[in-house]
Amino acid sequence: MTSWMKKCLVVAASAAMTVGMTAIASADDVTLEFQQWWGVELPDGALQEIVDGFTQESGVAIELLSNPYADTKTQVAAGAATGTMADVVGLDGSWVYDFAKQEAIANLSELMEADGYDDSQLSDQIKYEGSTYMIPVVNFAYPLYVNLDILEEAGVEEIPTTWTEFMDACAKISENTDYAAYCIPLNTEAPNGIQNQFSSWLWASGGSLLKDGKPGLTDNELLANLVDYFKEMKENGYLSDGVEAMHEQDMVNEFENGRLAFMVDGISHLTTIKKESPDLNFTYAPMPKADDYDGKSGLDVACWGIGIAENCEHKEEAMAFIEYMMSPEVNAKLSQLANAFPGNSTAEPDYSENDELFLKAFEIFQDGYAINEFTGAPTAEDLMRSMNEQLILYFDGDTASVDDMLAATQEAWEAAYN
Amino acid sequence: MNAKLKKKLTPYGYLLPTIILMMILLVIPIVMVIDYSLYDNVIANKNPVFVGLSNYAAVLKDSAFWTAVGHTLFFVIVSIAAHMIIGMVFALILNTRYLSTRTKGIFRAIYALPWMFTASVIAITWRMLLDPNGVLNYFILLFHLSPEKVTFLASRDIALQSVTLINIWSGYPFYMISILAGLQGISPDLYEAAALDGADAVHSFTGVTIPQLRPILISLIMLDFVWTLQQFALIWMTTGGGPVNATETVSTWIYKQGFTKFQYSMASTGAVILLIVCTIIGIFYVRHQKAEE
Amino acid sequence: MIGKQKKSVKALIIVLLILGAIWAGFPVLWMLSNSFKSNAEIFEFPPKLVTANFSFEAYAKIFQNPEQVRFFINSYAISAIVVVLTLFIGIMASYAFSRFEFRGKGLINTLIVAVQAVPPITLLIPYLSLIVTLKLFNTYWALVLTYLVFTLPYCILMVTGYLNTMPRALDEAVMIDGGSRWTALWKILIPSAIPGLISVGMYTFMQAWNEYLFALTLTKTNDMRTVPVGINLLMGQHAYEWNQMMAMSVLGSLPILVLFLFFQKYFIAGMTAGAVK
Repeated sequence: MTSWMKKCLVVAASAAMTVGMTAIASADDVTLEFQQWWGVELPDGALQEIVDGFTQESGVAIELLSNPYADTKTQVAAGAATGTMADVVGLDGSWVYDFAKQEAIANLSELMEADGYDDSQLSDQIKYEGSTYMIPVVNFAYPLYVNLDILEEAGVEEIPTTWTEFMDACAKISENTDYAAYCIPLNTEAPNGIQNQFSSWLWASGGSLLKDGKPGLTDNELLANLVDYFKEMKENGYLSDGVEAMHEQDMVNEFENGRLAFMVDGISHLTTIKKESPDLNFTYAPMPKADDYDGKSGLDVACWGIGIAENCEHKEEAMAFIEYMMSPEVNAKLSQLANAFPGNSTAEPDYSENDELFLKAFEIFQDGYAINEFTGAPTAEDLMRSMNEQLILYFDGDTASVDDMLAATQEAWEAAYN
Repeated sequence: MNAKLKKKLTPYGYLLPTIILMMILLVIPIVMVIDYSLYDNVIANKNPVFVGLSNYAAVLKDSAFWTAVGHTLFFVIVSIAAHMIIGMVFALILNTRYLSTRTKGIFRAIYALPWMFTASVIAITWRMLLDPNGVLNYFILLFHLSPEKVTFLASRDIALQSVTLINIWSGYPFYMISILAGLQGISPDLYEAAALDGADAVHSFTGVTIPQLRPILISLIMLDFVWTLQQFALIWMTTGGGPVNATETVSTWIYKQGFTKFQYSMASTGAVILLIVCTIIGIFYVRHQKAEE
Repeated sequence: MIGKQKKSVKALIIVLLILGAIWAGFPVLWMLSNSFKSNAEIFEFPPKLVTANFSFEAYAKIFQNPEQVRFFINSYAISAIVVVLTLFIGIMASYAFSRFEFRGKGLINTLIVAVQAVPPITLLIPYLSLIVTLKLFNTYWALVLTYLVFTLPYCILMVTGYLNTMPRALDEAVMIDGGSRWTALWKILIPSAIPGLISVGMYTFMQAWNEYLFALTLTKTNDMRTVPVGINLLMGQHAYEWNQMMAMSVLGSLPILVLFLFFQKYFIAGMTAGAVK
């Protein structure tokens, strides 16, 4: 054997040993990995404190894997494809259908039944083929943010409550100030502007994107009116410059810098906006409704959902952890910290330390009902993306009429629902 | 006999670690991707059905795929041409005798700066620069270059050009450094001979510099072609392929098929097509190397 | 007459020099400037290079956060291991290509070059399965081996070119003196190839330091994360920590800049030696 061969062997052997050691080190008592983006959004250390409570109670260690929303999504998708998902995962309502279909996340109905868990206390459960796969832990409402200083400068005296009033306000803002009136972020990478800044208007006037659980975009008068309403805003220059490349964060930056009069956004943003722009004079208002609508308003909600990986080896402990997160006290605490509404209907968060604006949002929330038709929809992000594309094509005049635009979107959606 | 055998095996011994690595970590995944592309869908579908080449037919009939191919070609060709021109100009400047060594050193480092950043950082920085309320638009309004703010990444007419611009910025330093290295390797005698023949600056550039650099330039173009073709992060993090499909390239198309439509077989099919194209380029590259030797 | 022409050439060069510096340097300058601003100031219009709240807070936050410091340690460790292994394995392979004739040489060479052409994103899913099967998921080795696969071909191409320029008489002299091929390679050839190796090593380091997609998907816990993933960690679902992101980008690029400044002479000399060909 030549000397270099020996050297190679040594290198190879030491490499193998290192690899072996890491493998041994990971076999341990029960530790559950909990992958989510919540830790990044909450105050530093807050989520750790909450899960430590579970460890004290049960002896099961929780390892937090906190990553930003977009990275969490990539990781969960990759984990779903290869069976490396963390034991317990934070889920967005729009992911559930696909991961449940791939059998990457576990059937929670079965686990709850096995554990004798009373699910009547849960305000909502996200289902696939009749079984629950995700439980919303906390909910975020998306009310209308209003910059009062811009309204004053523009000479708008009342916060608009109807579509007509809103359009009039936009006209005044555009005429009397240098600012944009409204914004819908339409970047293709994250097409959720369709959900939060567009569909929220539809839901607020009692409208729907679906008919009997299937896409119902055509023969939908309210939706057609809304599309034209947005086109009018775009053509009159009421929207922020460059909405087609904006992310939700860019919209918030515009609002924070006092360049945007209205935006629809999650109340979870409240803390950051207050911190970044302490002088900004803004408030919350209910979404404007279609002029002839006087029923209850659907309020767009997003949620932090929770689920269990199918590849999790300790499903019982994982279920116990979810039950802990959903227990009234813990759920209330989390809601209070996150500026959110609890997923357990018996939880009573103490919001007395939250911002007074938050309480206003809470009132708006209680006046209406929560809705989000993209939750649990198949390839939800892709649905938003195809509508996003069709909307821009219509804005740009590439599509002749609103009916053509909706028909094209309907076609794309039907393919996903089959 | 034994010594002879040993002699025969020695080169393989030297190659062994490389071969093992490549076999396990590259050949296996490639075979898996090819396999995926032959089923109706994998991963999302627990019982995949073998469909032969029908995914390939579907992809090649998909007009969205061909749009992506068109954008990719624009992106790649313009990037390469601009990389080449900018890299050449900078290298020539840094190689003149008019500047002191220290000046050259400082500017060499400045010009190489774009090379030091990872794609996500480049994407974020340029998103801020190109924002309608960003610094570039500030200058555009200040100098009245346009009556209103330019929405670089948001307009379907110029989004592709804007993304290409970002890629040009991030990629030219490799050319600059390589060409600079090449320039310093050209013997001064050649220029003197050209000068004796009465060649002016332009003629000595076309008559001496370009022919001498030719092998380097061809290598650079081939490598860059392959690298630019793969560019994903930069596009995904600036426009996500939009508005509509204005900046959709083959790599963003593949990503969307896999990670938002969960059509892993279609994504794999796109991947294999890209792989075949790249391999053909790779073979040309090797041929070219051989011809140079 | 000639003096005048010279002057105008010089003026032209200086103009180009400055324009080039703006083109190359302005985005970086802007990044640097933003790292000293508060988050809201970053999007002020008209934009300012230096703002009222100029502070080092973003940098301080990064250094105070052990998790973020860990990203740097991981990146250094992984990049350094990749450089060492790439050079070691790459040099051996290059030696074979440069000094031996053997069956399959052309084929193996073609494959190694073609490998450069494989778009990494296309292999993501099967590659991830493979790493999981090998039980390397969420370890340094997952990233080290991955980066090796993508850095080795370039290394082999460059070093083979470099060794080809060295006369065979050098190694033969060693073997006549009773030394082995191994000694000839490491004691004689390699020391005189240092500039070339530094250039390859730097390139390798940059590839490993900057990679994002695999670093994100092949690791799971924050103690295995690298700097590019760490930068993205500052993008929340709702709020970006822009100034910290910029500060981390500046810090993340610093090691490469320092390496470049230190080694740029070698770097360019290494490429001159016919290596790029």
